[in-house]
Amino acid sequence: MNGVLVTAMLALALAVIVVRRRTVAIVLLAAQSLALGILAVSLAGGAVVAIVLLSKAIVLPALLYLLIRRTREARPVAAPAGPMVRLAAAGAVALCAVVLTPPLGLGAAHTEHIAVALVLVGITIVIARRPILFQLLGLIVAENGLSLLAVSVPGGLSYVIDLGALFDLALIVTVAAAFAQRIHSDLGTGDTELLRGLRD
Amino acid sequence: MTSLVPVLAAVAPTLPLLGMLLALLVRTPRQADALVVATAFPTAAAGLLLAAIALAHGDEPALRGQWYLIDGASGVLLAVIAIVGLCSALLSPTYLRTSGRSWTTAARSRSLYYAALFLFWAALLAVPIVGNLAVVWLVVEATTAASALLVAFSGRRDALEAGWKYLLLTTLGLSVAFLGIIVLAIGQANAGRHGLHALDWYALQAAAHSMPADPTLIAFVLLLSGLATKVGWAPVHNWLPDAHSEAPAPISALLSAALLPSVLLIAWRIKEILQPSVGAGTTHAVFIAFGLMSMVVAVPFLWRSLPWKRLLAYSSLEHMGIIGLGIGFGTPLAIAGVVLHVAGHALAKALGFYSTLPLLRIQPKAATRAPTAVLSDSPATATAMGVSLVALSGLPPSPLFLSELLIVLGGLTAGEVVVSAVAVIALALGFLGLLHALMEGVIGDESRRRRRRRSREEGPIIALTAILGTGMLACGFAGLLLLPGSGFVETLARGTL
Repeated sequence: MNGVLVTAMLALALAVIVVRRRTVAIVLLAAQSLALGILAVSLAGGAVVAIVLLSKAIVLPALLYLLIRRTREARPVAAPAGPMVRLAAAGAVALCAVVLTPPLGLGAAHTEHIAVALVLVGITIVIARRPILFQLLGLIVAENGLSLLAVSVPGGLSYVIDLGALFDLALIVTVAAAFAQRIHSDLGTGDTELLRGLRD
Repeated sequence: MTSLVPVLAAVAPTLPLLGMLLALLVRTPRQADALVVATAFPTAAAGLLLAAIALAHGDEPALRGQWYLIDGASGVLLAVIAIVGLCSALLSPTYLRTSGRSWTTAARSRSLYYAALFLFWAALLAVPIVGNLAVVWLVVEATTAASALLVAFSGRRDALEAGWKYLLLTTLGLSVAFLGIIVLAIGQANAGRHGLHALDWYALQAAAHSMPADPTLIAFVLLLSGLATKVGWAPVHNWLPDAHSEAPAPISALLSAALLPSVLLIAWRIKEILQPSVGAGTTHAVFIAFGLMSMVVAVPFLWRSLPWKRLLAYSSLEHMGIIGLGIGFGTPLAIAGVVLHVAGHALAKALGFYSTLPLLRIQPKAATRAPTAVLSDSPATATAMGVSLVALSGLPPSPLFLSELLIVLGGLTAGEVVVSAVAVIALALGFLGLLHALMEGVIGDESRRRRRRRSREEGPIIALTAILGTGMLACGFAGLLLLPGSGFVETLARGTL
């Protein structure tokens, strides 16, 4: 069961890099966070984990949905590479993570590989997707990879770290949402390709 | 005095947090400016008192409690953060009075600016104090959110680009670093050490000898490469010139003088703690590689005619490289150089950024191109820029001359002759680049001499030039007389904790 959920998290991350519509990407992210939450409850349990689950799977996607309501795009931002190319690139990155990640001491190679793969796929989403919202989703995918590894630590990490990391993520997402709104109102789009004025 | 440490360690970051909350409540610009003065002085006083205690106990084991850890290196950083934070806070009303447009409405912009500034300052003060690796990571992550808003404060397109790039790159870098922390937590859990305190600096140090080599090496590489993004080391420095050049001048000063070395302190502690497991050769090599690469990458940019703040940003890249190199050498001479360099660079770089305030009034085009003959327009501004450039280039009597000399000598005593030689060449080339900026941008053509009416920003910059310039001279003399061979440096060279 846990192995399936872990694999599903990677599949959902790969889907985020492919899909065109922002609402679909947010739903995929919410599903990934839900899978993470179920894993966390089954591995560690407790009220704090439940709060993290609710926040990541419900509150953050809701905030992101509000953001896209406020930053409507006349048409989806054109991607520099097609969906299959993006999928192939992200798949290659995930494969490299699976093959090359050495043992991290957890004793659960599958979880270790998928967690590292999620971090790398998150970074790939940031690089491969131009819309500001997708870049933000890439950050959260990478953070979900970290959370997957964190909840798998024997005995779990401290609640202080869990809640602190959630607070920091919420802070970063709030600031990023403020940026997204400001950039959208300035440029009329969330296409970060237009933010390329600073060069030496 | 050590009995005051727990109180001061709590008060120093808490005061600016209170200031942040109050800043969101004030209604008028006058109230906001008064709040800044009322908060900044007690905060700086608490930070400086704590720094003084830490420095006085620098040759003894670190002062530590349930949640804090303060050693000699903490003392240096606390002093730097307190002084630069105070100067930045007091200069902020001047910046806001003349900044023009901002991210948000005029009514709210001042409150939001001060709230973000105080949050940033509080997090910076907490970094050298916190005694736990995971918690200090959380604090550094919080600095990103607060400072990204400040970087983009002007709301201009370039500022938004710089702020977004900074937010994205440093958050991703910190994610990689957090992966390293989790790998360490797994190792601790496997050894039966669970919970928050398993990641205390001291717990990690105590466990370092028994940590498995391979996962610890992975953790070290992940932590260093992740933190390198936030330090601004090459090749992951792309955000640095953009953020430093687009941020308001008081914030640029805090970023360069306080944030970068604070994150470097974390990297330094990680090196000292994991060295028994990873091996001294590896840890030294990683620091030397990042340091040397940063110095070499910075040189071509220091030779170009860049806008003033971008030039200072690339100078930060060079100086973080020098500090990294000194930590990598790890000999007492090099560590004496590192301590002096952190303090001297902070004062010189802060003065350089503060001089932007009058500079952009007298030469508005200096925001996007290199300044020209500032001396002919404003001798006071030119003096501030000149003092900053002379200090940063390492020309005697700059404290950075002595610190760079100590670091290079430390490299030679460590047997790193080739690395030291490359570093000397990079320093010499960087020196020539900054000298060119001094001759062309600050002094300029004698025949163009014309004196404009003195601007309102010149008053504060004259005072700051006198204060920070005197501070730099004092640093230089103190460094020369007190540091080499001292118990303080010997303790740091044995390990920061």
